[in-house]
Amino acid sequence: MPVQFAAKRLGKELSKIQNGLPPGIELVSADNLEEWFLDIKVLDNNPLYLNETYRLKFRFSQSYPIEPPEVVFVKQADRPIPIHPHIYSNGIICLDLLGQQGWSPVQSVESVCMSLQSMLTGNTKNERPPGDEEFVRGNKQRPKDIEFYYHDNTV
Amino acid sequence: MSAQSSLALKEEGNRHFQRGDYVAAEALYTKAIIADPTNPLLYTNRAMARLKMTRWDSVIEDCEECLRLSSLTTASSSSSSSACPYVAGQKNTGKNFKALYYLSQAHLPLKNYDQAVSYALQAHKICAETHDKSLAAVTSQVLKCKKERWEHREKLRRREEQELEGEVVELLRKDMEGLLKSNEEDEEERKEMEKLCEEKIERVKQIFEKAREKDQRRRENPPDWAIDDISFQVMVDPVMTKTGKSYERASIEEHLRRSETDPLTRTPLTIKDLVPNIDLKHACEEFLEENGWAGDW
Repeated sequence: MPVQFAAKRLGKELSKIQNGLPPGIELVSADNLEEWFLDIKVLDNNPLYLNETYRLKFRFSQSYPIEPPEVVFVKQADRPIPIHPHIYSNGIICLDLLGQQGWSPVQSVESVCMSLQSMLTGNTKNERPPGDEEFVRGNKQRPKDIEFYYHDNTV
Repeated sequence: MSAQSSLALKEEGNRHFQRGDYVAAEALYTKAIIADPTNPLLYTNRAMARLKMTRWDSVIEDCEECLRLSSLTTASSSSSSSACPYVAGQKNTGKNFKALYYLSQAHLPLKNYDQAVSYALQAHKICAETHDKSLAAVTSQVLKCKKERWEHREKLRRREEQELEGEVVELLRKDMEGLLKSNEEDEEERKEMEKLCEEKIERVKQIFEKAREKDQRRRENPPDWAIDDISFQVMVDPVMTKTGKSYERASIEEHLRRSETDPLTRTPLTIKDLVPNIDLKHACEEFLEENGWAGDW
């Protein structure tokens, strides 16, 4: 008998989300229980992110929320990849919370969006992670399989 | 025929079951049972196939036979000088939870709600004691049974209320007709009586309508204290971590199997550290009794 947390939990998250999300977070689509898209905005006047909207893609496994979702920024004509020393230019995010170690099942789609919002809000560095070009060129791995080195846990 | 050929038949049945051919699996389990009618495990296997075939009555027969045979073997192994009675007993309870779980699943579509709830709770108790990985599935079954039982009761209650409303309205009309008969001369007064009575009927209907609306409004989100922060379901068996925060047993155990940390503080936490939260459990039970819809909101 497999454990089927994901479907029920995501169904409930979705009904909560449809009743409202915090400011700056919007649901774009949740057509199934595997892949959702959300838009986030940075609400303060941080010049790095002013007047921009960023699109996030969530992918859930069968064992969500025991396992973390895979979360990346996706690029579109009007949706750039935010500049940040922990966000690669292909949209892959290096955030403790989304890693196998840092994840906790009490986190949710909403709380992840809020963490990313505040990660951007607090950033002042107009730069990509070190080795971005090389990483983006060479990476064939899925984000969850990458062993990130959390060189700066204060960000 | 022997126990050995019986087991071979069971294995073959399992292979068909895996492939989704439940009819062939059921036939093979039946052959296995004919070869060795005393092995309780064969009956739960066949019950599993029959569940898929929605043959509820024969699921119940198989599970009851399994439980009967298991109780016989447990009794005899504890009376005889078995080398390892503890292991034998544990194996039996381990399988019994499946019989109980299947019984619950078969009684539910037959609308035997009380039995469905009772068997689900018995299965849950065994799974919780043995930390079985099926605990999450059994926990969901408890909620599902409680929800369906509540919906059934609500349906009856609503029907009764509707009938009551009809009866009250009819009585008021009869009352009016009586009054009108006793006063056939004064046209003014008759009109006044009729008007008063229609107003009363309208008022009664409004009161019943308000009660129905209140029922609907009650079904918003369940209170946070009743909800497990991992599964987002109402808790059936809340257990507390060292921080005082409670989770559904099935959820937190599933998390701890992956990572032995407190979900909130990330400090070390093991299954042994979990403590049942009896008062919260009772509060959740009471809440579900009144708000069964929240069993799957």
